[in-house]
Amino acid sequence: MPALSFLNPSFLWALPVAAIPLLLHLLSRRRLPEVPFPTTTFLRLLEPREIRRIRLREILLLVLRTLALLLLVLAFARPALTPANSVTHAAAAVALLFDDSQSMAAIDERGRPRLEEAKRRAEAMLESARAGDAIVLGFATRGGEPAVERGDDRVRLRRSFERVEALTRPAKMAATIGSLRRALERSPLRERELYVVSDFQRSNWGSEARVELARAAAAGARVFLSPVTTSNVANHAFEAIDPEVRPGAEGRGLELRARLVNHSDAPSDRIAIRLREGDALVGGGDVSLRAGERRWAAMPIESRRGGAEPAAEPAAEPAAAPAPARFTRLAAEMDADGLSADDEWYAVLGPPRRIRVLRIVEARGTAPPRFAALALDPQGNGASGFSVEQESPAALLTLNKARADVVLLEDVAALSGDAEARLRGFLREGGGVVVALGPHADPGYYSRRLFPGMIDVSLRAAEQAPAGSAFELRARVAGHPILEGLAVGVGTPLSQARLTGIVQGGATTPRAEVIVQTSGGLPVVVAAPRVAVFLSSLADDWGELPFSGAYVPLVRGLVGHAARAESSAPADLVVGTPPRTRLDLAPPGAIRVRGPGGYVSSATVEAEGTGVRAVALDPAPAAGFYEFDAEGEPLATIAVNLDPIESDLAVLPADSMRGGAGTVVVLPTFAALERHLRATRRGEELWLPLLLIAALLLAGELALASSRKLRA
Amino acid sequence: MPGDPLRHLDWKVLAKSDRKYLKQYQEETNLRAHLLVDTSASMGYGSRGVTKLDYARQLAAALAYMILGQHDAAGLFAFAQGRAEQIPARSTMGHLRPLLLLLEKLQAGGGTDFTASLHALAERITRRGLVVILSDLLDEPVKVEQAIHHFRHRRHEVLVFHVLDPQEVAFDFDREAVYVDPEGGERVTTRPRELREDYRSRVSEWRERLRSICIEKRADYVALTTDVPYDRALLEYLGKRSRLL
Repeated sequence: MPALSFLNPSFLWALPVAAIPLLLHLLSRRRLPEVPFPTTTFLRLLEPREIRRIRLREILLLVLRTLALLLLVLAFARPALTPANSVTHAAAAVALLFDDSQSMAAIDERGRPRLEEAKRRAEAMLESARAGDAIVLGFATRGGEPAVERGDDRVRLRRSFERVEALTRPAKMAATIGSLRRALERSPLRERELYVVSDFQRSNWGSEARVELARAAAAGARVFLSPVTTSNVANHAFEAIDPEVRPGAEGRGLELRARLVNHSDAPSDRIAIRLREGDALVGGGDVSLRAGERRWAAMPIESRRGGAEPAAEPAAEPAAAPAPARFTRLAAEMDADGLSADDEWYAVLGPPRRIRVLRIVEARGTAPPRFAALALDPQGNGASGFSVEQESPAALLTLNKARADVVLLEDVAALSGDAEARLRGFLREGGGVVVALGPHADPGYYSRRLFPGMIDVSLRAAEQAPAGSAFELRARVAGHPILEGLAVGVGTPLSQARLTGIVQGGATTPRAEVIVQTSGGLPVVVAAPRVAVFLSSLADDWGELPFSGAYVPLVRGLVGHAARAESSAPADLVVGTPPRTRLDLAPPGAIRVRGPGGYVSSATVEAEGTGVRAVALDPAPAAGFYEFDAEGEPLATIAVNLDPIESDLAVLPADSMRGGAGTVVVLPTFAALERHLRATRRGEELWLPLLLIAALLLAGELALASSRKLRA
Repeated sequence: MPGDPLRHLDWKVLAKSDRKYLKQYQEETNLRAHLLVDTSASMGYGSRGVTKLDYARQLAAALAYMILGQHDAAGLFAFAQGRAEQIPARSTMGHLRPLLLLLEKLQAGGGTDFTASLHALAERITRRGLVVILSDLLDEPVKVEQAIHHFRHRRHEVLVFHVLDPQEVAFDFDREAVYVDPEGGERVTTRPRELREDYRSRVSEWRERLRSICIEKRADYVALTTDVPYDRALLEYLGKRSRLL
């Protein structure tokens, strides 16, 4: 049951004022003057008819005046209705989770940063704190144990938020909610509330955060969610840059590959990308992305500044290592959008790389078809960025990383045990494997012997397409590196070419991902880290794929995927984590790390494999280049970028956060939050309705008093 | 002249000069006016200093002076319930003094009973004449009608001056009060603001009813309030007299 209380109870002493009309009425009746008047006959005649009306009117006027005065007095006493579950009557432990992650810097639908609205709400919440309340402040990016402040120390509370900015870090929602919950549980106060002021970014509110929220509610805290925005803001962002610069198309120049994403429900047309080395513009291009598309895009780098020109190299030594690149640091930037922080990406580039492919084919009387070799290196000089060496399976016995980057098994029936073991060793060394099946490949061997431990794919038997029909290839995943050279979305055909045969199979765990499948859902390309399987023939045994436009990019995509080192996308070098780098040898002196914004930190050295790893003591505060040096001697340079998780500005419907045990209430607007705070801190104030009713009563009294109809 | 009556022939002139002269006369009528002044308690009410009785006796004095000045006879009857004072009608100017003395000593008091007082007067006034009633007529209109009818039956001309105080017409009080009837002592507690319109309407109807009664009985009715100058009343009287002669 709601309880009634008064915020100015001293005004209740004025309640007897409401009796004034009644007193005046009684007094005026008692002291009526006597007036001699001869024609009372007429008054007497009128009286019986009018007296009832007059008395009724008098009573009505009396009631109206009394009620109006009563309501006025009550309004001045500021009555408030407090819900049964409010904290009005007791001090409370109040936890505030404030989302200061990067996404809060995004511009909302009103053209202001989300953070501004969040600060407004947090300040309103803190302003409502009362003496005796214990305020626990938690910032989503900081984690750790939150500070507990006193509710009446408003200056200190306000100061906590004065300089809050959206940090270039992802939110640690689950951890922060957990620490706030524990702080509430430690509080001796019985009334406990948890307020969450956030944009409820979908990518930050995963199942862990929801579980923590449910745990807080189940622990007896009333949870109030205050989403500062409800709309998704269009945003496109960099997600990675491949540090391995490649020879450009047709062997001319160099190109850099960047993974871009469009977090929007609408396509982004011609996003301008600029590549800078320092202040100099060294490359770039335009990229168009479909709604929600995420893909790798290649952009040319100005060739005259590139140190490695594979096309200019003589073809005499196609397998030789390319010359080192002059580019070491590149910053990519794109047009500003909803969140400007993720429109830049820093990359430390490795040397231009030519992928050495060891193509394993079996001699079956005639020379094996060279479709795949031609697709990778049409000129035979490595100018395309691929150099191909063709060997029999026996060559695998001497395979090592110094000889090849990727092994392409093309329609090989089966491998010997030694060759298979060497191939696995090659994989462990960091090499890549592409398995292309075909009419001679033994599905049973691959499924039971080679693939286990390499890629989670099981194979059955080869299947021929029914006469008159063929298998059409469709992309199943958008933006996968294997499909990099093909402008395809999910479900779109790779080409007009059809396959007539295919080995039936499928991924057995989520670690293996089906990238391309037939229109009937049969997997055609399955990928795992540094391994790719093509479940049909790369030759023309099963269709005319080698003659289609999709063939060359598909083969290069398969090999490129297998050659890509896992560390090429340094997703863990993000702002908020300590900068680190791998070194061959531990340097003799102390290691110092310098970064943007005057960042300087010392670093520790840890053993890692055959080398060491230097890790800075302080987390990187901003995106940019961080340099490791020991006693002035440069050791390494790394790039630290924003966590791409903050780029997806799509928000969760706050209602979806309800449910589970305990109470979770959504306060979708600032007004709703204010109402809630007013109702729970001071109760639902009733002075305004009371004043309005009093005004209405007085208006009614005036109307009744001047009513001719009732007078006559 | 042939046809002239012989009784108007002046025989003395005929005898002396043998000439026939007819004697001609100018007859002077003797109007007997009876001024009936109501002295009931209600006539003692005056909201503006002048009571209705003051107004009635001043008007009666003026009328008496005019009547006697025209060599008509004027009499005065002061009537109230249970008492009546009278001075019979005479036409000498010396009669004015006792009339004025009586008017001066009249005091309002007692109730009004038209039926009794006026009927008694109607029986008492035997010679035909003009009956001038100065009263607030605060009685039932039926009884007023019967009294006027009685006078008319006795072939009197009747002129009614209906004298009221302005407050009795307008009921222009502000405050709620206990209104006390000076005649019956009845008390009515009311709010003038609430009843004013109805009261005025009722008084207006009442006066119209009395006017209708007078017209029906071929009596003259003059509605007066004490704030109206006498000239209207006097003009009314003169008009009546000219019609009577």
